[in-house]
Parts: sequence; structure tokens; C-alpha cells
Amino acid sequence: MQKQIIENHLSINRRKFLTRMSLGLGSVALGSLLIPDLFSGSPEDDAASFMAGVPHFAPRAKRVIYLFQNGAPSQLESFDFKPRLREMEGMDLPASVRMGQRLTGMSSDQAHFPLAGSLFDFKQYGKSQAWVSDLFPHTAKIVDDICIIKTMFTEAINHDPALTFFQTGAQQGNLPSFGSWMSYGLGSENKNLPAFCVLLSRGKGNGQGVYSKLWSNGFLDSIYQGVQFSSGDNPVLYLNDHNGIDKQSRRKMLDKLAELNDLSYKEFGDPEISTKIKQYEMAYRMQTAVPDITDVSKEPDDIVKMYGPDCLLPGTYAANCLLARKLSENGVRFVQLYHQGWDQHANLPKEMPGQAMDVDQASAALVTDLKQRGLLDETLVIWGGEFGRTNYSQGKLTKDNYGRDHHPRCFSIWMAGGGIKPGIVYGETDDFGYNIVRDPVHVHDFHATCLHLLGLNHEKLTFKSQGRRYRLTDTSGKVVDRIIA
Amino acid sequence: MKIAAKRIAENLLFAADIFILFLVLFESKMTIPAWLQSVGRMHPMFVHFPIVILLLAMGMEFFRFNSDYIKESFYRHFTTALLLVGALAAAITVIMGLLLSNESAYTGSSVDWHKWMGISIVSIASLVYWNRNAEWYKAPIAKSVAVIAVICVIVAGYLGAGITHGEDFISSPLLALHATERVPVDKAVIYTDVVQPIFTRKCMSCHNSGKAKGGLILDNPVDILKGGKIGKLFIAGQADSSLIIERIFLPEEEKKHMPLTGRPQLTKDEMDIIYRWIQSGADFKKKLIELPENDSLRLTASKFLVPPEEEKYDFAAADEKTVRALSNNYRVVYSVAKESPALVVDFYNRNQFSSKSLADLLPVKKQIVELNLNRMPVEDGDLKVVSQFENLRLLSLNFTHVTGSGLVQILGLKYLKSLSLSGTKMDHSSFPAIGNIKSLRKVILWNTGLKGEEIAQLRKANKNIRFIEGFRQDAPMQLNPPILLTTNSVFTDTIHVLLKHQIPGIQMRYTLDGTNPDSIHSPVFNNDVVIDKSTLFKARAFKTTWLGSDSVEQHFYKSTYKPDSILFISFPDDSYKGDGAEMLSDHITGDLNFGDGKWLGFQKDMEVLLQFLKPVKIHSVCLHMLKNSGSDIYPPQQVQVWGGGDKTHLRLLQMIKPVAAVKGDTPSIFLEECKFPATRISYIKIIAVSVKKSPKWGNSPNKPGWVFTDEVLLN
Repeated sequence: MQKQIIENHLSINRRKFLTRMSLGLGSVALGSLLIPDLFSGSPEDDAASFMAGVPHFAPRAKRVIYLFQNGAPSQLESFDFKPRLREMEGMDLPASVRMGQRLTGMSSDQAHFPLAGSLFDFKQYGKSQAWVSDLFPHTAKIVDDICIIKTMFTEAINHDPALTFFQTGAQQGNLPSFGSWMSYGLGSENKNLPAFCVLLSRGKGNGQGVYSKLWSNGFLDSIYQGVQFSSGDNPVLYLNDHNGIDKQSRRKMLDKLAELNDLSYKEFGDPEISTKIKQYEMAYRMQTAVPDITDVSKEPDDIVKMYGPDCLLPGTYAANCLLARKLSENGVRFVQLYHQGWDQHANLPKEMPGQAMDVDQASAALVTDLKQRGLLDETLVIWGGEFGRTNYSQGKLTKDNYGRDHHPRCFSIWMAGGGIKPGIVYGETDDFGYNIVRDPVHVHDFHATCLHLLGLNHEKLTFKSQGRRYRLTDTSGKVVDRIIA
Repeated sequence: MKIAAKRIAENLLFAADIFILFLVLFESKMTIPAWLQSVGRMHPMFVHFPIVILLLAMGMEFFRFNSDYIKESFYRHFTTALLLVGALAAAITVIMGLLLSNESAYTGSSVDWHKWMGISIVSIASLVYWNRNAEWYKAPIAKSVAVIAVICVIVAGYLGAGITHGEDFISSPLLALHATERVPVDKAVIYTDVVQPIFTRKCMSCHNSGKAKGGLILDNPVDILKGGKIGKLFIAGQADSSLIIERIFLPEEEKKHMPLTGRPQLTKDEMDIIYRWIQSGADFKKKLIELPENDSLRLTASKFLVPPEEEKYDFAAADEKTVRALSNNYRVVYSVAKESPALVVDFYNRNQFSSKSLADLLPVKKQIVELNLNRMPVEDGDLKVVSQFENLRLLSLNFTHVTGSGLVQILGLKYLKSLSLSGTKMDHSSFPAIGNIKSLRKVILWNTGLKGEEIAQLRKANKNIRFIEGFRQDAPMQLNPPILLTTNSVFTDTIHVLLKHQIPGIQMRYTLDGTNPDSIHSPVFNNDVVIDKSTLFKARAFKTTWLGSDSVEQHFYKSTYKPDSILFISFPDDSYKGDGAEMLSDHITGDLNFGDGKWLGFQKDMEVLLQFLKPVKIHSVCLHMLKNSGSDIYPPQQVQVWGGGDKTHLRLLQMIKPVAAVKGDTPSIFLEECKFPATRISYIKIIAVSVKKSPKWGNSPNKPGWVFTDEVLLN
């Protein structure tokens, strides 16, 4: 009996197997009718479906100027006013506030975490009544044009990963930079200049390095990589013709070279070859465009006063701000500035005023200057570092000296123009300036919002590399629509 | 159910399951023909069958092993049939849903979740159907699977309702505030969309028409104006003497503070909005955009609102080929966005511009919404072409040659919102009646011929337009100091001082006597200053309309003799060894930054030997030194100078005891000079005896101090 039952099961399964298989195959065949190119062997790829250079929807901003404050300026001495820290000066940071936050190796062995209030006073400014410290008197004058975000937060606690996170959307590096993604998404505006330019300057404060990986194109076409402008006689290296070579012979040489490159493109089909041809052509056009733009000697006296007299000294932050304005108004999509020297682990009260002095006037001038040219509406200006600084003193806290370690959980940045609501302060931190109470903005959210302002959907701006699609915002990021005007 | 019908249904269910699997796997590659789209769109209708049938079937499955029902053959058969029909209906619904989701309108995480829920339901129902007679399938399994299936049906239904009727369709009556939170800035009414939602969130749990604590109802304008038992809630325009303001601004500990302690409190922004709304007259109808752009109430209120919706254009797109043909390296024509008919045109490189390059755009005159002609040599006549771009929203004419009389031509642009005229020759007399363009919101007039009071007049006459004047300097600004180009600070005979300043038209003045240069008496610097003795040089920069700069200062030292070689007898620390002993006579001095490579640092006695090939007559040996007690760098205890004609027989020429550092010293550079009767020598040995025990007040008490020097002056 048992045997028969088992056999019965088997026989049914055999018959069933055949019926089911035919049914299953039938379903699959039916379904396959819905795939037009199933057998044509032309899989749809990203390059074809993505129209480079055309935004997904109408952009609010056409260009970005990112004033990166490298080293991480303290939010507690700039835009996040915390009187409570002064009241509790020297007391230990309560564990209930710290909530197990991981610390850097630089202060993790401290027995105490003495709270340190800002040595610099804060006042309220403008119609928006935003609090700004005395270190930033010029920024204070433009608070009604900017949106201060007090609740940025990040995941990294050391400079390089944090900086790389802000610049590429990942902490590990080797991915395309924000500027590269943007020029990939929007293309260049002015074909005579690179779409993504990088300018460096350095303050006297404790500094951290920046490396060219931060403006690398990663897996994107190399035409999207950042071009670094240097402060010497030749802002763009190797751009000028050698002595004795005139424009005509240069032209001839380039034409011949393009023919040769074209031949090898036909042979190998490597897209980098056609990129190379395009880059030589652009460099040729840059030869006339760049000297015109980098020449600041014709700027009128009131522009010099606005940015401060340093703006005529090549290599200073002020000069870079002025140059950023000139590049931007000439259609450069993304101008990335880095100002080094904001890493105040010690001697903060002595170092930070100098750093603030370096950047305050020129940053504010840039916003005003864009505004008076009608360009602020279409140019997104961003000012900020890679993380914040702790509310307690790293090392000894004395009456007039303290330092602050790295703090990822909250810090302040400001944004202006390009569709950002002017004159608001977004987000709230707790009385200790340690945790976010309301409206957190993650680095991915920040990127998503910036891309949104540029008319790009951060979920759709993708590139397939090594078998997976990449985005600037990885797998998360939410547009913060309440800071969008 | 008849066996044949049952078998057909079973086979259909199996086929449908496989089909679903296939659709899910290849979803991204599918293109749905039109007739199938219609089938897909029946998903929201058909979905009701499986919901009802499966809920019932799962309910019956739950009690299936109940001893009463297990014997009932009707119960058994009916459950089986219901399950089969339910699973089949669910499978068909999922197929329809998958077809529907292929349409581009359906994206987002709730669609994904809905999809996977639906697929789970089919999978669970199918698995239950195929396995429910297996031996391991007992009451506990039946019950848990039934419960899971029911939960899935509910969640999928909830999400589905959200997709068709809008997010939180089911829950929104419970969360009334959500409905009001996503209002675009340009449509918001201050009271309805900003003030009332604050009341709803924070006050209405007590002050609603049901409860009306204190007789106060806050859910409509009439009751709000009526106030409560104590009296009126506010006096419009007088926030400071209004009851509500008094109550909400009282400290939280006060009994009369509102909202009551323990309830959600008003945030600063919310309090600010209520205050400013009352102060501005408590209007119930006013729209937010009617307030000036930088009004405090508008700024704060806009934080609670979302961005305005994208502008829709009602004209047709231009021919793609025409657009492409018009775009070149110096005239870039591009569409505002994917699938938008609107075009933006930017011009670059003024040498490439001609009136014709502008007129070339006429074939797309309808489509151009933004035109940037900044810095192009555009003349008044060219604006005739511009006036035909009837849909223009933004026009930038910064630094062009246009004048007020040319501008008259564009007054007919009825959609123009923003006009930039910075750096043009506009003047008040010829400036046209710009207010005729009703849509105009912004005019930028920085750096034009229009004066401040003239712009103020324009502002008065055109309330809807923002006139931007740009930067105005409030206080005179200070120049920065001249830059010293002379790198050497030590010389043998004379030294030529060179300065530069980056700002054109500057005047530099200098002194050589240590006083501060002034703008009147001090000599003007013309790059002709030659110094022949040790001197403190100071220079400042001056220019009219600027404040004079701080001074740049440099000590120049004379050192008549330069040794032919220098040898270390004791070696400096590895971190501060610079380029070696020769640095002591390289004529370059360091500054306060002791780590800049220009200084030699010893954490012991310094001993060096200077050698001359020909004997020289010397009467003074001087060390250029640094002290910085914060970094344990102290003046030496003693400096000895030995000399002679033969390095094995040197005699002590002079020995001095420098002044020791005292508490509170700031870092500084100083000279230690040993003078002695002029002596002919070929060798000089210098010993600087370091501090062996740092002072108690120092940074490292009792530890050895450092000696830093960078130059030896020989005279």
C-alpha cells in the first residue's frame, strides 16, 4: 500500500512535470513577446538612454561655486550660537548628550571633555535675524541673501574620508567628483572653457591636504575631470604655445594629430581617443579664452574694495573668489575652491580669526557681486567644510584658549542663490550644539538637493561601471525641498 | 467544482506564477503595446476580487484544522476552491499591476513596496494551495500563513490606495497637518497655509470646536477673531499688547504659558510667525508672495512651504535640427529641460558677435525664454530683434552698449520677469516706463548712470519690481601693505630694496629711521632705495579713497665679511638643520616661524667654526637669534667668540651673557653682539651655551632649552 501511494505520487509528478514544463515555457514565451529587442542583441545601455547635457527638468541653478572650507571650520564660532556652552564652561560633556559618539584618536584618551563656549560674541543680523559670530562681519551683512543650514551631518570623522565623501558621495575615493557628475549631467555651457575648474588657497591655520583625486572624473569620461588653475603666470599649465610656434602651425599640427587619432579610433574604437581629440580642440580655444578671464587687472576699484585688496594677489582666497566669479559668468559649470587651514585642534581662538579674515569678505563679496550682475539666481554658491567641531575642548581648556576636535553629528554650512530660499536658517541643534533636534541634512541629502536645483534627478543621474549603476548619492539622499525657493 | 475546471484553473495558476516571475526579472527591458496597457489599467478595478476572495479564503484556512470543521466536506471543498480562485485572481491582478507599473507615471518607493507585497500575496497563496495537503502542513502553519497573508493584503491595499489617491490617502484624515504642509510658496495664503497649520498642530487639541478650553476655538477665522472667555485673542497690528502673544512668550514654567507644559511647544519660528502675522495686521486672505521678497514674515513662513511648481509653456517646440544648427561654440542654444519646448541662448566671446548672429535666432523666436548677451557689443538697434522674442522671461544685457532709448523697444515683452542692465549707460532721463511690463519682477541696475535717489524714485513708482543696486561701501577700506621683493636681509656692501603692490595707481612711501611712514612727509618709494648700513626699513602704501596700509618692515644687516667655509662642531637637531652650516652666512634671515627651514636649532650648546682662506680684520661677531619660550627656545646663557690664525690655537676674544628670558616674553628675533678690539684672524669659533634647565614658568620646566640662530654677522 505504502509503495503504491509513493508510486502514485511519482507518476502524477512525472505527468505533472511535463504539463507544467510546457505551461511554464509557454508563459515565458508569452512574456518574451513584450521585449522587443530580446533577440536583436542590442541591449539598451545607459549612454543611449541618457541624453548628456540636458537636465531632467527645468533647473533653478545653471552653475555652482563651491567654497570649500577645508579642515572643518567650527560651527560654534561661526553660525551655531550656543549660550548654554558658556554657562556650562568647563563642565564635563554629559554622556547622555554624547550617546556613544565615536571620537578620533586625538581626543579619545581624554579623561574629561570640558565644554567650551565660544570666545567670540554673536549678534543677530538682517531681516532674518540670523545669529552670526563677530568673526564673520561681512557674511553677517548678507544673511538675507543666504540660507544657513545648521544641521548638516556626516558619517566620517577624519578629514580625508569626510572630504572625499562631500566631493564624491563616498568615503573611499576614486569615484567621480560632484563637479564631474554635474558636467556629465549638464554638459559644458561655454565650449571654450572646461566645465569644471578647481582653485586652491591656503590660510595660516593648521592645514590639511587636498589631492587631485577630489576632482577626478572616476569612471566617467575624462572630459569631465576638474582642471586645476594655479596662481602663477600660467594659470593653466601647458596651455600656452612654445616660443616660436604661431597659431597657424599649432592649428596645422592639431589637424594632423586629429586625423591620426581618428584613424586609431576607427581601429580600436576606444571612446577615450575621441575624448582626447575634443580636449585638444578645447585647449586650443582655451588659449584665447583663459588669458582674458584670468586677467584681473582691469577690475574696477570698487570691485577690488568689495573683495578686499588681497583679490589682486594671485593664490589668495579673495583672488580665487574673484576668479570664480569670472569663470562662472563665462559659463563654467562648476568652480571648486578649497581654502585650507581650518583644522583648529588647538589654539582655536588664535587661529580662527585669521582664517575667518581670509574668507569672510571675499565670500560675501562673491554673493553680492553675482547678485548685482543678475547671476545669483542662476548660480548656486555653497560655503562649508567637511564636518563640524566638538563642543568640548580638545586638550587643556583655559580662560582664553581651547581647541576643538572633529565632530560629525552637526555642523553649519550656508548656501545662496540658484533657487535656494534666501534669508532663512534651516534646522535646529540641541543646546549643547552636539546633536540635531530637527531637520537633519545628510551629505547625500545635500547632494540630492544640489542636483535637484540643477535640474537633475539624483536617482536618474547614473552611470554603469563594472556591472553596477552608480549615483552621486549612492542609494539614498532626499531633496530638502524646504530650503528651495 | 468539477475536476476538469479545477485542473484548468490549477494549470492557469502555475502558468501565471511563472509569467509573473518572468515579468519581474525582465521588467526594465519590456515595452508594453497599447492594447496591453489598457489591460494593465484595469488593475485598480480587478484588484477588489482577490482582496475579498483571499481574505475569506485565508479566514477559512485559519480555522481549517478546527475539529468541527475538519470533518465538514463542504467546508473543505469550499476552502480549496476559494483558495484556488483567490490565488488565481491575485496572480492576474499582479500581472495587470506589473503591466501598469511599466508606465512612467508610477515610480517611487511606495510603488516598489506595493509591487513586492502583491507578489508576496500571490506567492503565499500559491504555496499554500500547492502544499496545504502535505503532511507537515498542520494547524500552526495554516494559522500563521493565513495571518501573514491577511497582513500582506492590508498593507498592499493601503499602499495601493496611496498610489492612486495620493500618498497617505487613508491616513490623512488622521494626520490633518500633512495635507497643509506641502503648499508651494507661490500659492500659499499666509493664514490658511502657514498660521492655521500652527494652530492645528500645537493648539487645537484643546481649543477646537468640541473642547473649546477657555471658550477659545482656533479652527476658523470667525472664532479666532471672537477670542475666548478672557477676551479678544489679539489686536491686529499690535502684537505686543495681544493676549496670545503674552501667553505664548511667557516662560514655560509660568502657569499661564501656552501651550501647557508637557504638550508640544511652539518652536521659535512658529512663535515668530504668529507674532509677525498679528503685527502685520492679521490678514486672513493675504498671499505670501504679496509681501516684499525680504520681508521677515515671508522669510520665516517660507521655511514651512515647498518650492513653486515648474512653469509650463504653452508654445510648441522648435525643430530639433534648427536648434542644433543654430548652436555653435560662441552662441549656445539649448533647451531648458528634457521634453521642454523652451530654449536658452548664451553668447560668448565678444569678437565673434554681430547683429546677424542675433538675428539668426528669429526662426526660434517663440521658443527663447532666456537670452544672455552679457559683454557683447549689442547696440540699441539689436533690441528690435530681441523685442520679437515674445516669450522671453529673462534678458541679460550687462555691459552692453544699449541705452534707455533702445530699451523702449522691449516694453512689449509681456512675460519678461528679470532684466539685467548692470554696467550699461542707462540714465534717468531716457529710462523707459519699465512698469509697463506687468510681469517684470526684477531689474538690476548696478554700475549704471542711475543714481541712488533716482533708483529710489523708480522703486516708489514700481512696487512690484525689485531694483538691485549692488555693492555700496559703508566705511573706507584699508590697503594691504606693500610686498617686499628683496629676499636677502644681510649684505656685504649695499643692498637695493625692491617693493611691489598689486593695486594699480598706488603710492608707496618709506622711512629708514624706524619711524612710521606717513602720506605727506616720508619720501616716495621709486624702487631706488639703496641701503649701505644696518637699517630698519619701513614702507606703507597709499591711495586716494583708501586708508593707508600697515607698514611692511624689514631689518637689513651689514656683514662685511663672508667666511669661505663653516663647519659644525656640534650638530643641530635633525628637525632644524636647514641646509647645513653654510646657512649662517647665506644672507637670508628667517621670521618667527622657527620651522620654516631657515633656522638652525640646537637642544645643546651650539659650536661652529668659521674659516677664512685669507685672514680678515674683525672687531664684531653678531648672532641673529630667535626666542620663543612657548616652544622652549631661550636666549643662550653665554656666547663665546674664539679666534686666531690657526684652528688648533684659538683664543677667547669675547664672552657675553645675554639677558635671560622672563615670564610673559613674546616670541621675538634679537641680536647678540660680541665686540672686541679689531683682530686679524683666519678662524672664528662661536659657542652659544644653551639653557640647561628651562625656567619653572616655562612650558617644560627643568628640561634643556633650545638655541636657535640663522645668521652670523661679521664686521
